[in-house]
Amino acid sequence: MQEHIGEVTHDPPPHHWEVSWAPMAAGFGVMFLVALPFSSYFVYHNRLLAVLFAGIGAPLVLAGIAKWIQEGASQKMAIENVSPIGIGVFIIGEILIFIGLFASYWTLRLSAAGAWPPAGTPHIDKLLPLVMTVLLVASSLTYHAAEARLDADDKAGFIKWLVASIVLGVLFIGCTTYEYSHLSQAGFNPGTNQYSAAFYTLTGFHAAHVLLGVLSFVSILVAVTRIRINPLFVTVVGIYWHFVDVVWFFVASQVYFW
Amino acid sequence: MSAIAEIETATVKSGFRLSEWVFTTDHKRIGILYLIGSMAAFLVAGLMALGIRIEQTAIGESGLINYFVLDFSRSISTGTAYNVALYFHGAAMILAFLIPGLTGFAANYLVPLMLGARDVAFPRINALSLWLFWAAIVVALLTFLVPDKPDVLWTGYPPYSITTPGNTALYVFTVHLIGFASILGAVNFLVTIIYMRAPGMGWNQMNMFVWTTFGAFMIQIVFVPVLAAAVTLLLFDKYLGTGFFDAARGGDPLLYQNLFWFYSHPAVYVIFLPAMGLLYEIVATQAKNPIFNYKAAVYGGIIGILVITGEVWVHHLYIAGMPDWLRIGMMVTTLLISVPVGLMVISLWGTLYKGAITYNIAMRYVVVCMFLILVGGLTGIPLAITSLNLHLSETSFVHAHFHFIMGLMATYSLFAAIYFWFPKMTGRSADDGIAKLAFWCNVLGTQLTFWPLFIIGVEGMPRRYWDYAMYPQFQPYHKVATIGALITAVGIVLMMAGWIHAAIRGRKTSTNPWKSRSLEWTNTESPPGPGNFPKPVQVGKDWTPYDYHR
Repeated sequence: MQEHIGEVTHDPPPHHWEVSWAPMAAGFGVMFLVALPFSSYFVYHNRLLAVLFAGIGAPLVLAGIAKWIQEGASQKMAIENVSPIGIGVFIIGEILIFIGLFASYWTLRLSAAGAWPPAGTPHIDKLLPLVMTVLLVASSLTYHAAEARLDADDKAGFIKWLVASIVLGVLFIGCTTYEYSHLSQAGFNPGTNQYSAAFYTLTGFHAAHVLLGVLSFVSILVAVTRIRINPLFVTVVGIYWHFVDVVWFFVASQVYFW
Repeated sequence: MSAIAEIETATVKSGFRLSEWVFTTDHKRIGILYLIGSMAAFLVAGLMALGIRIEQTAIGESGLINYFVLDFSRSISTGTAYNVALYFHGAAMILAFLIPGLTGFAANYLVPLMLGARDVAFPRINALSLWLFWAAIVVALLTFLVPDKPDVLWTGYPPYSITTPGNTALYVFTVHLIGFASILGAVNFLVTIIYMRAPGMGWNQMNMFVWTTFGAFMIQIVFVPVLAAAVTLLLFDKYLGTGFFDAARGGDPLLYQNLFWFYSHPAVYVIFLPAMGLLYEIVATQAKNPIFNYKAAVYGGIIGILVITGEVWVHHLYIAGMPDWLRIGMMVTTLLISVPVGLMVISLWGTLYKGAITYNIAMRYVVVCMFLILVGGLTGIPLAITSLNLHLSETSFVHAHFHFIMGLMATYSLFAAIYFWFPKMTGRSADDGIAKLAFWCNVLGTQLTFWPLFIIGVEGMPRRYWDYAMYPQFQPYHKVATIGALITAVGIVLMMAGWIHAAIRGRKTSTNPWKSRSLEWTNTESPPGPGNFPKPVQVGKDWTPYDYHR
């Protein structure tokens, strides 16, 4: 595929203005889904308003994504095959967010006056993160297998391995949910101490990435069974998913085993 | 390249259709929608500046500032209202006007045209960036509707941002949305510049504006995410009860300052680089000269800034407390970055050398900018030197220093670009008597505002204070500065009214009124249709966009 990267199409220019409502729906959807409900709930303690905003935002985002994927399956771009490069640039940004969060964690950790973890931290199970590591690595492998099936034009095989990746991703999120509820029952909340703040921030931010990855898998599944999917989108999600996998090694080693 | 006559008229149906604008994924229209949004932010943030100046005219409470932040019932104190105005002025000018104006409007409109490309690499992601930016403007404008208006400056320093009754969440989400838009913009433009140059166009044949945009987005992709992390932790500290920046609980308020400036000093170059790029394009065209020392400006200047930009942020913390050895090291890197900046400025001035200079309204702004860079840059040197910084830090000297670069030079480069590419965007000229009158109001008004601030800054006038009863001797200076602001306000209103008038009724221009050699003028009509170029663009080995000597 390498030799095809960055090939500019030489078709005559289009004679109409390209339009899509998907980006606008997704853009304002994010505002309604995240910014406004958070402010309503945590700043003004208005549950109804928060639900109302999220109720506007969620359908907007979903419709935007659905329309986007549908268009992506059929539309021709001005340049082919650069999507993997694009997600690579995006991942540089993602890495820097994690570096920012890790730098904060290290600063707290290295300047801590007393014992670490500080008082108020219950026993944290070390087996669960290992299980989660296995789940995530396995899902990277199953996704890789799915991609190989797609290259071989084996749609049934692709769907099988894709579903396996979804199941593994969901199990990972299940583990996180179990762990969070368990810890919060033991009185370990984001505000408990400096370790809990870093713990929930880092694992939570990573879990959000896993969730986004699983949702991307589901959207591929829906697209591939109903219409068709742009194989580049499958590649892009794969690169993103392997990144999420690699970051987990850093999160887990720093948060649980240091 | 006299192929303009051969260009076939595109068979696009002309006429205005709203859906083709609001749902557009075309980079030119996205660019213009960015321009409208950033100019709206500029107007509101400019009103805040006017309010700040008017409040500073009086010693003691004038109370007028409350009206500027739409607090007609005066439910908040004058000091708080002043802080809200400072917050909105700073945050909106930098995040919603300068950065989207330069890397949103200008980059979107010009980069694909200068590359000879049909559009950007990811047109829908481009539109997503645009609407995230507009969502950020909506969130920022909520400032004037909520009772607990954010009052955290554009920096949001803890502990104040966490303990204030003001709504810090609005600040955080404004940063988040614009930051996300910037990251996606970087994905788009870096890939576009690397892969979508017209066949035959080498790196050393790119327009300077394309190079500076490349530099700006390299900075965005690396540094914006760190700011996003910082403000996210701020949000958690204030609303979810964590204590990352709470010293009483083992957190570190300086951590926030470090993360914040790790992005926000490089952000100066996100603004400075494309602003310089626009100036280069206009100077080369109006002087009919190739860029002087092109390679030194690119590889020494732009790349040099990219290399050093991540090592200078700590000079914002000189007086916040740090070991002396670090202070010295940071002084060295801060002074060092004036070398690449200097290379770029030399190229800008050198391009005039033996040129056949013609003046239009854009070139007038550019000439002013060339002097503004000198004032803004040279006043940065004493601020970089630690011993002087201890005296000057947190005075209005700093305020005047960065306004010369950000508020004047970068802003005027954008104004110049709007005038210069106005014929390209609309097919009409905005260079008329109103534009000249507005030019003189803007230039003289802002000089009247900022020179007094240098003087009283050295004398000890603190930045950001809403009142200065202890320094009654500064009042005349403040009055002069406010008169300057009022003159500028007249200029801005005239200028924008002139743009709107010219877009509808302006004199029609030829396709290439400035006789430029750059692709956006030579190879397509004005304004360009869908797909930009009637015929795919290809350039030869000896083609350059500054080919004026042959």
